[in-house]
Amino acid sequence: MGGLDGLLQGFQVAFSIEGILFVFIGVFIGTFIGMMPGLGPISAIAIMIPITYGMEPTTALVMMAGVYYGAVFGGSTASILLNAPGISGTVATAFDGYPMAQRGEAGKALAIAAVSSFVGGTISVVLLMLFAPALAQVAVTFGPPEYFALMFMGLTAISSLSEGSTIKALISATLGFVFVTVGIDGQTGTPRFTFNNPNLLEGIDFLVIALGLFALAEVCFLIVNRKDTSLSDKANVGSTKLSKADLKEMSGPMSRQSFLGFVLGVLPGAGATIASFIGYITEKKIAKKPEEFGKGSIKGLSAPETANNAATSGAFVPLLSLGIPGSGTTAVMLGAFLVLGIQPGPLLVQDHPDIFWGIIASMYVGNIILLVLNLPLIPYISKLLKIPRPLLISLVIIFSLIGVYSVSFNIFHLYVLLFFGVIGYLMRLTSFPAAPFILAFILGGMMEQSLRQALTASNGSYMVFITEPISLALLLISVLSFAVPVIRGRLRTRQ
Amino acid sequence: MLKTMNQKVSIGLVLFSIGYLYLSFNLKEYPYVPVDSDLVPKILGFLLLALSVFLFFDKSSEKEEEKAKRVVPKKEIIVMCGVGGMIFVYILLFELLGFLITTALFIISCSTFLGYRQWKTSILVSIIFPGVLYYVFNYLLQIRLPQGILPF
Amino acid sequence: MKNLSMTGLFILLLIMTACNDQTAGSVNGEWEPKGPIEIVAPAGAGGGWDTTARSVAQVMEEENIVEEDLGIVNKPGGGGAVGWAYVDRKQNNPHHMFIGSPPLVFIPLNGQSQIGYEDFTPLANMIADYAAFAVADDAKWDDLNELFEDMKENPQDITVVGTSSPGSMDHMQFVKIAKAAGVDITKIKYVSSQDGGAMTQILNGNADVFSTGVAETIEQVRAGKIKVLGITAEERLEGETLSQFETAKEQGIDATFVNWRGFFGPAGMDEGQIKYYEEAFKEVSDSEAFKEIREKYGWQEMYMTSEEYKDYLDEQNAELGELLEEMGLTE
Repeated sequence: MGGLDGLLQGFQVAFSIEGILFVFIGVFIGTFIGMMPGLGPISAIAIMIPITYGMEPTTALVMMAGVYYGAVFGGSTASILLNAPGISGTVATAFDGYPMAQRGEAGKALAIAAVSSFVGGTISVVLLMLFAPALAQVAVTFGPPEYFALMFMGLTAISSLSEGSTIKALISATLGFVFVTVGIDGQTGTPRFTFNNPNLLEGIDFLVIALGLFALAEVCFLIVNRKDTSLSDKANVGSTKLSKADLKEMSGPMSRQSFLGFVLGVLPGAGATIASFIGYITEKKIAKKPEEFGKGSIKGLSAPETANNAATSGAFVPLLSLGIPGSGTTAVMLGAFLVLGIQPGPLLVQDHPDIFWGIIASMYVGNIILLVLNLPLIPYISKLLKIPRPLLISLVIIFSLIGVYSVSFNIFHLYVLLFFGVIGYLMRLTSFPAAPFILAFILGGMMEQSLRQALTASNGSYMVFITEPISLALLLISVLSFAVPVIRGRLRTRQ
Repeated sequence: MLKTMNQKVSIGLVLFSIGYLYLSFNLKEYPYVPVDSDLVPKILGFLLLALSVFLFFDKSSEKEEEKAKRVVPKKEIIVMCGVGGMIFVYILLFELLGFLITTALFIISCSTFLGYRQWKTSILVSIIFPGVLYYVFNYLLQIRLPQGILPF
Repeated sequence: MKNLSMTGLFILLLIMTACNDQTAGSVNGEWEPKGPIEIVAPAGAGGGWDTTARSVAQVMEEENIVEEDLGIVNKPGGGGAVGWAYVDRKQNNPHHMFIGSPPLVFIPLNGQSQIGYEDFTPLANMIADYAAFAVADDAKWDDLNELFEDMKENPQDITVVGTSSPGSMDHMQFVKIAKAAGVDITKIKYVSSQDGGAMTQILNGNADVFSTGVAETIEQVRAGKIKVLGITAEERLEGETLSQFETAKEQGIDATFVNWRGFFGPAGMDEGQIKYYEEAFKEVSDSEAFKEIREKYGWQEMYMTSEEYKDYLDEQNAELGELLEEMGLTE
């Protein structure tokens, strides 16, 4: 069967009354679960698996895709309103979303997130539809040396995340890398820096760091300014109006990050979190006014939201066309397929074209529903900020604690969260930026593992990073992107 | 001798990186890989050490606004420590008393401590918010939050 | 030291059961749960342990095998150690249990957990899964013997990839079979890769041999991307693609590896309690509904009673302990 026939058939599935209904239910439940502390797409899909038991496979999977989308979007709400990212994919959203909400433009921030998600989601589904099989081949060409180079490239961007002192940004990043080395080492099974504490064997969860450094550190500031009532007086907190100028600002990041996010999503192991960070960094690098980033920039909010949704569709490429789950979420999604008696793999598109194309077509529907469902709700959700400060502070604290608990189910990690809250506050007082810490924590773990996987395979020869063309290209780009601004700076000072 | 904040922080970081390096050099060896688990930590340790030393001698003085950020009234620090202490007690009691009771107590005591005096609202919130969360997690989503001493 | 505290605990337990005979102990060897039962999956949602635990609980509830509520609690961490340490703290409460598999033997042997299978009451084993060793479809080896012969000559050229960390399942299942074939197991190059990276590395040639579960290979084999050199089951498995996979035994390598999965309660459960759970699990295992689930996930039936399970685990422990010792991976 040709792709076009398949797609038409897929649209028939997605646009049937039943299809739309189940996508709607999926998106609704997903958004709801995504807003819960600590619960993201992984938990949302795992929770829904028993419910789909006995359902017709196409309908069930169409609903699951809706759940996935909804959960990714739902996570951004708490990031923007409370600076408390519920899942790792929306940490970068807080960088500019929260300052914008604090300015009294919560509704606008949520609307930007919704529109960016919609655009990122839709463009990437078009890409998924057109290039899935071809891109799947690209995904497979990425081995350990390439991953190492990619992560290295991400890390060299740290200088662009810093405001003020570069040395402080570098220290902050090194510390982030240091903390990711805690736990059992993947390549040797050696417990590192665990102090014989079994609770540390699995390492520190990314969410613990993010909630500590962002949400709890912010709580300290809210406490100091708790008598500030300026937000609750503002009438237009819930306004979702986006001006033409706003849309124009968003158009750049949205169009670029839809592509970049999608490609990063295709790579197994990279995923939405890394896509959102890389999206944020690249936009900052090419922006005319990079100094606005971190202070409520429209571009800075639009970029990670576009990228993480685009990556979400990207992650379906290896799953649907190769049967390889590239992330925790798609691994659970694979479980959902199995329960329904379907084994995704290279033959899925031949064996079950209705399912393959049905899922893709339902993503269009899902994105539209996501937008239609959420835009009208924004004014009500933004009212959250009108809650009196002392009460709001207590709720943010509870939100963070439950977020960590529902990921780890372990009291010990709540103490770790408190520890990072203190660290985060001290870092702010001494002007150490938190973003490089987070970035190095995300990229560092994978960078180290890829480095050592590559070296084991090459029997210890470092040449693999240079002889592989993709790896060499990525490394050259990172060196140039680091060196060029420095050289340019030198030249300028000399003149 | 330690005039600036940067120098104080740098001393702390130097000590931290030495401790980290010490642990890195004492990691268990694994004989079957060309590059063992200690390579990256050692690099990181030395890097941190070098960066901290740089920070110590960093001449660029802090901007005024950065210094201003650090001026926090003593009273507020005590308030923050108070909230921190409450979080600590919350974690301590979380699995013993269960999610519902500890959360309700925390919301009431924390908001009162921060100067919120509308009892009706705070009691209402402290019952409804954890109640709804608990219901959603334990019954709709089948993710168990600690039940504690309550029968449900 | 550990033994001393265990004896202490045991005495304490004896006293406590003696005092609470009506509530905790059983009368005339009959016992029934008196409240909701909590099953710990010592990993996050969606993994093998979690799926098995949830599907067993589902059958128990749907077929009314157990009257009380069943709740699955996820306690991830330490490769399972955090989850079973939690159940270990629930001694004298027969309403708690967890699901275990070979890591319950590996991880204590590796020294990454102080608590092992001996510290629990095995209730019943439910299913078995087997390992498969796959290579890219255009690889030069066509069976395990060719691979192992090559490995004996050029160990530095062959990289094995799996998902778990060294010294745990994916690594040791390969080591076990390779050793039986006469390969020098200290020269095996193993890398661990998560998130689908292992299969990718086989497809792009960064690694050569994929050590994994049988079910993970089926679709790629059907699509002609990889080939399975051998599996670790005793006999050939049933199924359209599965039945094509030759066992290691058929190829003259006398070794098997079973990825068993079963349930464990805290130490000190009495006969009535064990009997109750044994029967409940037996009923699940025999049910039509669970048969369907097994087929869906490609699991094999492998029911064992508490007694049989205990003997089996002792055997496994001795066997795997020897292997780990030889690799120098024991604590």
